[in-house]
Amino acid sequence: MSSTGTPTQHNSTLAISPFVSGRNGRYNASQAGRAEGDRERDRDPNTQQLAAGGNGEDFRSQEWNPAGLEHNHPYGSLANSPLVQKTNPNIAANSLATPHHHVTANTNHGGLIGSISKNGLFGSAMPSTLRKVSLQREYRDPLNTKTRETHIESGIHEPMSTTTTLTTTTTATTSTAEFDISELSSIEKLRLWRHDALMQHLYKTAEFVANKIYTLTGDPNDAFWLAQVYFSDGSYVRAIDLLSRDMLDSTSIMCRYLKARCLVKLQKYDEALDIVGECNPFSSASDEEAKKETDGGIKLESSLCYLRGIIYSAQNNFAKAKESFKEAVLVDVKNFEAFEELTSKNLLTPREEWDLLESLTLDFSILDDNQDMVKNLYIIRLSKYLNEDKTCESRKQLIEEHNLASNVDILVSDVETLYTKCKFSECLNFCETILEKDKFNAEVLPTYIACFYELGMRNKLFLLSHELAENFPKNPITWFSVATYYMVVNKIGEARKYFSKSSILDPNFAPSWLGFAHTYSMEGEQDQAVSAYSTAARFFPGIHLPNLFLGMQYMSMNTLSLAEEYFTLAYDICPQDPLLLNEMGVMFFKRNELQKSKRYLKKALEAIIELDSTSRTFVSIQINLAHAYRKMGDYERAIKCFKFVLEVSGKDSDIYCSLGFLYLKTKQLQKAIDHLHTALSLSSTNHVAQELLLHALELNVSITLDSDHPLVVNAQIHEAHANIYSSRKRAPLIFDSSALNKKMKTSVSSQTNGECEEMEIE
Amino acid sequence: MVEDSKNVSLNQIASSLRKSSRDFSRWKLYKSSKWSAEALVGMCVDDDHIQSPSVDAAIIRDEIESNWNLSERENDLYLLAASLFDCKEFDRCAYFLRGATNPCLKFLELYSEFLSWDKKTRAAMEDVLITGKPSKQKIRGDVNTVDDDNSRDSNHAKTSTSGDEKQSNPSTILKRLNSYLEEHRFAKYEFGIGGALLYYLKGILLKLDDNKSDAMTFFLQSLSCYSFNWTCWVELLECLTRSDEALLLLKYIDEKLELQNSTKSNVMVKFFKLAVFQEFSGNIEDFMDDFQYLHSTFPNFTFLKAQNALINYNYMDYLNSESLFDQIVKSDPYRLDDLDTYSNILYVMQKHSKLAYLAQFTSQVDKFRPETCCIVANYYSARQEPEKSIMYFRRALTLNKNCTSAWTLMGHEFVELKNSHAAIECYRRAVDMNAKDFKAWYGLGQAYEVLDMHLYSLYYFQKACTLKPLDRRMWQALAACYSKIGNRQEAINCYERALQLSVNLEQDTHLLFRLAELYEQIRDTENCRQFMIRCVDVEKSSEGLVSDETAKALLWLARFETQRKNYEEAYNYAIGVSHGSSQEIEEARAIARECRAKIQ
Repeated sequence: MSSTGTPTQHNSTLAISPFVSGRNGRYNASQAGRAEGDRERDRDPNTQQLAAGGNGEDFRSQEWNPAGLEHNHPYGSLANSPLVQKTNPNIAANSLATPHHHVTANTNHGGLIGSISKNGLFGSAMPSTLRKVSLQREYRDPLNTKTRETHIESGIHEPMSTTTTLTTTTTATTSTAEFDISELSSIEKLRLWRHDALMQHLYKTAEFVANKIYTLTGDPNDAFWLAQVYFSDGSYVRAIDLLSRDMLDSTSIMCRYLKARCLVKLQKYDEALDIVGECNPFSSASDEEAKKETDGGIKLESSLCYLRGIIYSAQNNFAKAKESFKEAVLVDVKNFEAFEELTSKNLLTPREEWDLLESLTLDFSILDDNQDMVKNLYIIRLSKYLNEDKTCESRKQLIEEHNLASNVDILVSDVETLYTKCKFSECLNFCETILEKDKFNAEVLPTYIACFYELGMRNKLFLLSHELAENFPKNPITWFSVATYYMVVNKIGEARKYFSKSSILDPNFAPSWLGFAHTYSMEGEQDQAVSAYSTAARFFPGIHLPNLFLGMQYMSMNTLSLAEEYFTLAYDICPQDPLLLNEMGVMFFKRNELQKSKRYLKKALEAIIELDSTSRTFVSIQINLAHAYRKMGDYERAIKCFKFVLEVSGKDSDIYCSLGFLYLKTKQLQKAIDHLHTALSLSSTNHVAQELLLHALELNVSITLDSDHPLVVNAQIHEAHANIYSSRKRAPLIFDSSALNKKMKTSVSSQTNGECEEMEIE
Repeated sequence: MVEDSKNVSLNQIASSLRKSSRDFSRWKLYKSSKWSAEALVGMCVDDDHIQSPSVDAAIIRDEIESNWNLSERENDLYLLAASLFDCKEFDRCAYFLRGATNPCLKFLELYSEFLSWDKKTRAAMEDVLITGKPSKQKIRGDVNTVDDDNSRDSNHAKTSTSGDEKQSNPSTILKRLNSYLEEHRFAKYEFGIGGALLYYLKGILLKLDDNKSDAMTFFLQSLSCYSFNWTCWVELLECLTRSDEALLLLKYIDEKLELQNSTKSNVMVKFFKLAVFQEFSGNIEDFMDDFQYLHSTFPNFTFLKAQNALINYNYMDYLNSESLFDQIVKSDPYRLDDLDTYSNILYVMQKHSKLAYLAQFTSQVDKFRPETCCIVANYYSARQEPEKSIMYFRRALTLNKNCTSAWTLMGHEFVELKNSHAAIECYRRAVDMNAKDFKAWYGLGQAYEVLDMHLYSLYYFQKACTLKPLDRRMWQALAACYSKIGNRQEAINCYERALQLSVNLEQDTHLLFRLAELYEQIRDTENCRQFMIRCVDVEKSSEGLVSDETAKALLWLARFETQRKNYEEAYNYAIGVSHGSSQEIEEARAIARECRAKIQ
């Protein structure tokens, strides 16, 4: 096929709508003589036509003016596309105020909703005029079609009604003669039918028609559309068959893309990779001209890169996947999926993420006036461990300038910020506000579930898990939630089962992998835990947690050198995490490098300082610091730390035990014994405390009851008071209280009473 | 003139009590309110003055004044919250009060949250008491079993807070209270009753957290805002563990504490001092003065009589105590407070029929009071039915988990059943809750002694002894313990100390003999002989009351004198041995025979 027939690699799919590609030979009557030329001009006539069409009807011209005015606007052709409508409701409102709509306005509720419901409800039963209109829209709104396709592939269905609504945006009358359906060729009519069927997800119909068209015409474009129908219907093998025939995939890049997607769907990754190519063939040919060329769509090249990334990550080749995704984003920032893949699947370290966004090559300028907003939106999705100020600033801008305060992305960013700061209960509140609007928001749910775990709220988790299992039995998050529930109720075996189920459903779902590894580590099966963690570390090079946990595992196995290695790896990825700093402090403590340990622990404390002081992490850092002080011989400080911990956190046997030890060291025997007793009363199996107590009690025996002994001191105090008493002891005193002649005797305990008391005591 | 001024001050006290009773019933501190009202009724009635119109005016003025600065809206809110509180729907009450800014309302919110928590934990503890063996489980906040390992423990702790909605526990309540107090830094007196209430709550929470010294600070702060809050004084008292602390506190109250009225004349301080004396004893002269004053002011106040009875009980003057309790029961028959002590007295005095009557009577009044249960338990214990007794003690503890004496007495019952481990657990609980309970410490010591763990029992005896340094038994137990461990010198010291404190000649023989033995062990024969002689002398003076020890002492002396070849003396000693084991008597006869031979 000629190069004019195939969109170049730098272009988006905007150009290959079935009708646009018709310029190869079968021109639309109305388009004759106009569609020749480059793609820019190819679209220009469209808008001109629209403007002309609008002018034909006086009372409608006002509504069409916006489109007309945007003549030279890069988005000119998109003025009425769903994309524009979604981003700018004003335009949408205008362009949707169609004549048809006006006619039926009294029966509708008016506005967008009215027209949507109208079309949605009466789709096929619409008057024939509407069908005509839809032709025109299909024709001039190819982007819509294509974007929808990609959406279908990613599982996010564009609401069908939106598309059909658009079909009503042009005139319902036949005043613009060149769009009259009657003037179309029979094939065109069939295509129209096919397209409408596809739009309305009537795949059987679409297949029926497309098949006929292809047989009739033999046009590769029609073959492509047939394949498209197969793809939408989930018949991937048939699509591949079709595309492989007649060398379609080798001539059209679009066909090749589609075929690759089909193969990915069929999990035939090697073949898919063969088709996509192992690396970007166009990377070198990034000519200036191609860069400038923008039509507002997503560049196919970027999508290819993204697909390549998907394949690589399915093959567990994360380095290459990362490169491919990065490339996809660099080629076209509008490829959000690639960006999302990079950030949410933790392929990049926090530092890399920021570098990517700040690199000059990432070109937001093609977004024009949306540049700031999109950039900010991207920024708030980045790792929260770094550049908190920038995230905040972006957030502020988005709220102030773009009125996105209630948008889910902003809230999600807030949630993540809170979560990284370990403010779980606040985080939970935020999650709940988001989930009120969108009950099963996949971005929030993992964090939400994690919060439940941290706060031990098993009942709500139970409910959520059940709801998820009912509604999304094939979603990894569902089983992650179930597994987390079992973790909370301490059924490790069950938890592991569901974690593994979750990670089978989506091997790239990091939380499940980590949870899976945790179950082993909780049961003390070190080897399995280590291997699970290291798999996780391989899968998710962007997060430090697997490495951190690996280090912790090795530390508990007392392989400190390995632990240090892993900690350093984690530290390279994310040097700000207080948990990590704490663990490093502990490691150095174990290696007896106390100064270093102290330094890291202090760092950890600094990192966590703005948290409320009762959080578990904060407490454990304090405890570790106290132990470090203890080992360094700084008993007073250690005691202070421990006392602080006792005040903020609950009672813990080990803390009392340590305090007892410290008091022993500082020669406060009574206090030591008291604290050790408390330690033992909290946990009678604390052997250290038992031994220490025994030691203390032995010391207690050897201490002489001299005048400093508290016992003697106390006795003296009592005696001082009792002197008067004992002086009266032999002569019981009777005194009269003034009001009543009641006697109060403070007499000696008589013999019999003394005996009785003894009996009672024994 | 003097009469007049006295009346004025009486009127002041009366109006303060009246106001406090009203305030506290309004803010749901029922015990304080009850106490104030009881005190008010128990005051000496002087018809002319009480009925003066000024009182009515004062009431009206108070009503207006004590609107607690509530706006109309807040007042409505208060009405709702108060009725919810009365219906014991604490969570709801707290829910409706959330966000309230008035200090009093804030108090009510946090207080009801606290009570809700308390209710829930109590329910959890009831389960433990009913299902599990009490000796195996510990109760404090969240319920986790002792023999669980650490990891389980932490998990338990986690799940216990897992009830769904944001569960409040004391630490979160405390946090919120702190932030509130920080936000509203009122001047001390401006704060008024609201501040007093909030500080009081903070004190309670801190005390629960075992942070006694801070708790005391806040109780004092609360009292300086509003002194007529008796429960606050009681809580303050419970924070004290040692008598030297009590001294310091009293000194502080006398010198530093600023109360609304002048501290010296504040009647509440006098009541507090009385209570301190009851717990720790102290300067009896001051006590007498205070008591005399209070008694003249509140002649019909049952609380005062009960305190008096308790003091007598603590001085082991059971006869007096009993008669005082008799009076109390007569004048205020349905008051069950402190009657468990009465039952202890009856138990010790072995007046079983009276004890049975008391048990019957109190069960009629209210079966479900911890006091009643203790009384019934004592009754069963007196009837030698320890199992039933334990059951009732357990019931008492279900009703009030902070009932220390029940724990201690249950420990005694377990000792009776020869179940030392269970007994130890009970005593432990008792001292955990009230470190002043010397009986529990002593019981712990004894239980460990039975288990041959003398190092432990020594420490517990030391504790008991610290609490009751003027009690011979404590020193004696301590001495026995030291001698068992092998520290003879300290053992001797302790026995000597016990001897000093002894008031009872008959019991001295044992002490003297033990001392003599110890001296023998450290080869101090001279001292040994001295004590042996004293031991024998005691017997002589006590006219015929012979104990095993004296027989042994005589035998020892006889042997000793034979060795020193003082046959005559030896003979005299030897013929004195008139009872003891057959071997001893045999030996004594042999010595006597030998001596007679030598003399001749």
